Amino acid sequence: MAAAASLERDAELMLRVRSGDEASFTALLDRHRAPVVHFLYRMLQNQAVAEELAQEVFLRVYRSRGTYEPTAKFTTWLFRIATHLALNWIRDGKNEKLHESLDQELEGVPRQVADQNPTVEQAMLYEARLAEVRRAIEMLPAKQRAAVLMHKYEEMEYSQIASVLGCSESAVKSLLFRAYETLRSRLAHMV
Amino acid sequence: MECPRQKAELILSYAAGTLEPSAQIEFERHLASCESCRQLLMRQQTVWEALDVWHGAPVSSGFSDKLYERIAEHERASWWRRTVEYRWSRLLRPVMPVAAASAAILIAFLVKAPLQSPNFGGPAEPAVSMEQVERALDDMDMLKPLSTSMPPAGMPAPAARNQRI
Repeated sequence: MAAAASLERDAELMLRVRSGDEASFTALLDRHRAPVVHFLYRMLQNQAVAEELAQEVFLRVYRSRGTYEPTAKFTTWLFRIATHLALNWIRDGKNEKLHESLDQELEGVPRQVADQNPTVEQAMLYEARLAEVRRAIEMLPAKQRAAVLMHKYEEMEYSQIASVLGCSESAVKSLLFRAYETLRSRLAHMV
Repeated sequence: MECPRQKAELILSYAAGTLEPSAQIEFERHLASCESCRQLLMRQQTVWEALDVWHGAPVSSGFSDKLYERIAEHERASWWRRTVEYRWSRLLRPVMPVAAASAAILIAFLVKAPLQSPNFGGPAEPAVSMEQVERALDDMDMLKPLSTSMPPAGMPAPAARNQRI
C-alpha cells in the first residue's frame, strides 16, 4: 500500500517537473539519489565513478522532463538509465582502470560496521567478509550482477527487473538462478 | 517440486521473504521432509546475510550542488545551441528556395555532361559511317605484303578484292 502510494507520488512529482516545477525535481532527487548511487557503486565498486554516473542519470531525467509519460514506474525508468550507463562503463573497460582497492576507496568515507563501537577484531572480521562479498559480486557477469543488485538491494520484483534490463521475466529468473548459484558456491564458507 | 530451477526460485523467494502466506506455509511443510531443500535454503540464507554486510557509503555532500551546476551548464549550452540554430535558420530561410533551385540545375548539368565526348576547342568530328569502315579495312588488305598473296610460279595473280565484278 505504502509502496504503491510512493510510486504514484513519483509519477506525480515527475509530471510536475514536466510542467516546470523545479521543487518536485529536488524532491525526486532527495528520494532516489542514495539508491541510485549505491546501485552504481555496487555495480562498479568505485564511489567517485558511481556518483558521476548517478549525476548523469539525473541529468538525463531532467533533460527528458518535457517528454515524460508515466507509462512505467519512475524507478524502472531511473534504474534503466543507471543500468545502461553502468553496463556501458563496464563494457568500455573503464571499470578496470578505475577500480580501487577497498582501502583507497574508503579513504575519507566513514566505514559502516554493524555495531556502533566495534572491537578491532570485529572490524577486521567485517572488512574480511565485505571484501569476500565484493569480490564475489564483482566476478559475476555484468547483467547477472545488475539483476542480483536490483533483486537483493532494491527489492525489485522479477517483472520490474525485466523492464529495466529489457528482457523477459523468464530471462531474469535465469540470470538470478545462475547468479545466486555462483554466489552460493563462493560464499558458502561464510556461515 | 522436482525441477531444481523451480525449487531454487521458491527457496529464493522464501529466503527473501516474498512468498505469499499460503505458499509460505506449503513450502515450510515441504521443508520439514526435504533435506536437500533445507540445505539449499541454508546456503541461500548465508548468501543473503553475507550480502547484508555490504552497506552503501553516504553520498558526498556536494552531490546535489554539482548536479545543479551540470544542469545549469546544460541549459546554457542548449540556449546557445538554440540561438545559433535560430539565427542560422533566419539567415538561410530566404535563400533556401534559390539554393535548392541552383543545386538542381547543377546536378542536371553534371548528369548530362558525361554523355557527350570531351571537346577541347577543335571542330566537332563527324560521325563515322559503316561504309567508311569497310573501305578502311579493304585499304588495309591492299597494304598486306605481296609475298603472302603471290600465287605459286606460273599461276595467275588473284583478283584484287576491291574490284567490282
